[in-house]
Amino acid sequence: MRLNRTLQTRYLAMIVCSMLILPIAFPLASFVTYLPAIIFKDDIITYNSTEIASLWHEAAEQLSSPMQEEIIHTLENWEEMYEEASMFWVDEWGRTRFKTDPSLPIPELWNPSYTVSFMKDSYGGDPFTVVAFIGSTKDDGFLVLQIPRVFMDYPIRQLEEYYQYIYLGMVALVLLVFISLSWFFFKRIRKRIVQLQVSMDVKDKGIPSRVKVGEKDEIGALEESFNNMIHQLEEGRLREQEEEQLRKELIANLSHDLRTPLASIRAHTFSLGEEEKLSSKGKQSVAIIDKKIDYLHNLIENLLSYTLLTSGKYTYCPRDIDINRAIRMSLTAWYPIFEKEKFTIDIQLHEQTVYWEIDPNWFERILDNVFQNVVRHALSGKYIGVLFDGKTISIIDKGQGMKEESFNAGVGIGLSIVHIMAKEMKISWEIKSSNTGTIITLTKE
Amino acid sequence: MKILYIEDEKELGSWVFEDLTRRGYEVIWLTNGEGVQEYLETSDIVILDVMLPGLDGFSIGKRIKKSYPQIPIMMLSARAQMDDKLEGLQFADDYVTKPFHPDELEARIQVLARRFDRIVPEEIQVQHLRYAPKRYELIHEEKSEPIFLTAKQLHILDYLIKHAGQIMTKEQIFEAIWEENYIEGDKTLMVHIRYLREKIEKNPAKPLIIETIRGIGYRLKL
Repeated sequence: MRLNRTLQTRYLAMIVCSMLILPIAFPLASFVTYLPAIIFKDDIITYNSTEIASLWHEAAEQLSSPMQEEIIHTLENWEEMYEEASMFWVDEWGRTRFKTDPSLPIPELWNPSYTVSFMKDSYGGDPFTVVAFIGSTKDDGFLVLQIPRVFMDYPIRQLEEYYQYIYLGMVALVLLVFISLSWFFFKRIRKRIVQLQVSMDVKDKGIPSRVKVGEKDEIGALEESFNNMIHQLEEGRLREQEEEQLRKELIANLSHDLRTPLASIRAHTFSLGEEEKLSSKGKQSVAIIDKKIDYLHNLIENLLSYTLLTSGKYTYCPRDIDINRAIRMSLTAWYPIFEKEKFTIDIQLHEQTVYWEIDPNWFERILDNVFQNVVRHALSGKYIGVLFDGKTISIIDKGQGMKEESFNAGVGIGLSIVHIMAKEMKISWEIKSSNTGTIITLTKE
Repeated sequence: MKILYIEDEKELGSWVFEDLTRRGYEVIWLTNGEGVQEYLETSDIVILDVMLPGLDGFSIGKRIKKSYPQIPIMMLSARAQMDDKLEGLQFADDYVTKPFHPDELEARIQVLARRFDRIVPEEIQVQHLRYAPKRYELIHEEKSEPIFLTAKQLHILDYLIKHAGQIMTKEQIFEAIWEENYIEGDKTLMVHIRYLREKIEKNPAKPLIIETIRGIGYRLKL
């Protein structure tokens, strides 16, 4: 990462800039403030007081014959020339005869005290006032010209009252520019961080997707590391899948390799059993071998299922299952076996359809394991009852119970599978066993 | 009946070959999937192992099913995991795991053959009845007179004969005959079976042909 591209460098640059701008800001503000005055110099009307005064005196003096029309005409001429000025005429009797601006606060009749106070106020005051006698005799009345002082000043002075606003505006503008620059700077950083956060935040156990590496600064470096991390994660996931696949295959192969010879053993045991010359003892042995093959077969099945189940690799697809139907289907396979063992079979299912959200294969497996148990360990009871009351499935036998020697490893693992599967499907199950029988109940929570 | 049997394990393969031949089937035994094609045309049922050298049983099975959907396929495998069974049953019609019982194997072959009409005998003896499935004709042997059934009764009887010896649930029968979902408590099937029994059983009160499996369904005894 080059030093001049780092965020730190940029941030420092911005701070230094702003530090430099601040001292410049005030003179700059001043400059900008005076700029209009300089630009509009020619457009601003200014009057020279001395010049106006002498012109006014001259004009008044020239009115030798104080004809009303003439005076008004003069005043109107002046008004046209000096728009900002207001004028009025007071005659020799002290009466206000004419005023260009009707709203001027002057009395109709000028008494001596008002005249004196007017003169006093006008001197050096605002507006600039010139009083000139009409004609040369000084007893024909007088004309008054008033111009607001502001038009008599230098142009720059005329704008004085706006100075502070412009100045403040300028300073505010400079500050605003600085604030928005730093905000913009931060906003860009924030946006990139948020983007990174969004891509990191993935639902369901997936791997976040890679991000596009933008600029080569600190966040860019972060994005690169993030991508590297995802790469490692993907590799890890892949390796994990491969290992899992290997493990699954190993288990499947092991199962296969154990079953294949077992199939041969069964086949040949069957042939042996078919031999005509076989003694009754031999037949008994064949029956025992056959039974043990069944047992071994089941044990392998259960062991492998158990391994897969505990590692969470047993496919689980729950859906709405008609429980009556599922129990009936399972029983079609077991009924002939119970029949062969001369069991009394009592099946009472619910009179209405009940759906449970479970995996049908798992449920079948649970029932298989339970029925298997009955066949193997409750033969002496000669009874199997399957009851379903809409909430609870009860599987009842009248064997000698499971706490005794029949509760061996085989049963243990079979019931462990039932236990894990039931738990996963939210079915609570219970075993009540005594020496007169066993009741297994399955209740959907 | 001709069985095409594909199994690479020599010891088991030869035994099954001999056993099925002894039971009266015509068996062609191959140790891998090569050359399967030429026997398919004449086979009534295919029995397939999964773990085979070269192409595995699943792939061979899928190909066979695609080109000959009318031939039933039975997977006979030592791979017993749920995933394998589910994958197999996507195309196969039955999945038997090793170690299987020889009698069970034959029973399943029979079931498949009947399901696929691979063995449609001229006549089937059902206790005191003689049924000719091709003509849907039912004859009371002792009286040597035909029994006339309604279409539904005949359909039910035909279905149960095809699945003779097997327990069929109420749902299975109902859905096969009426082609709609069975609703718990529906008495239609029961009523039909009662009328059917009145026509075919010697003593309808103590039926011997169609047996009621209480709580589950019915089973026909040949």
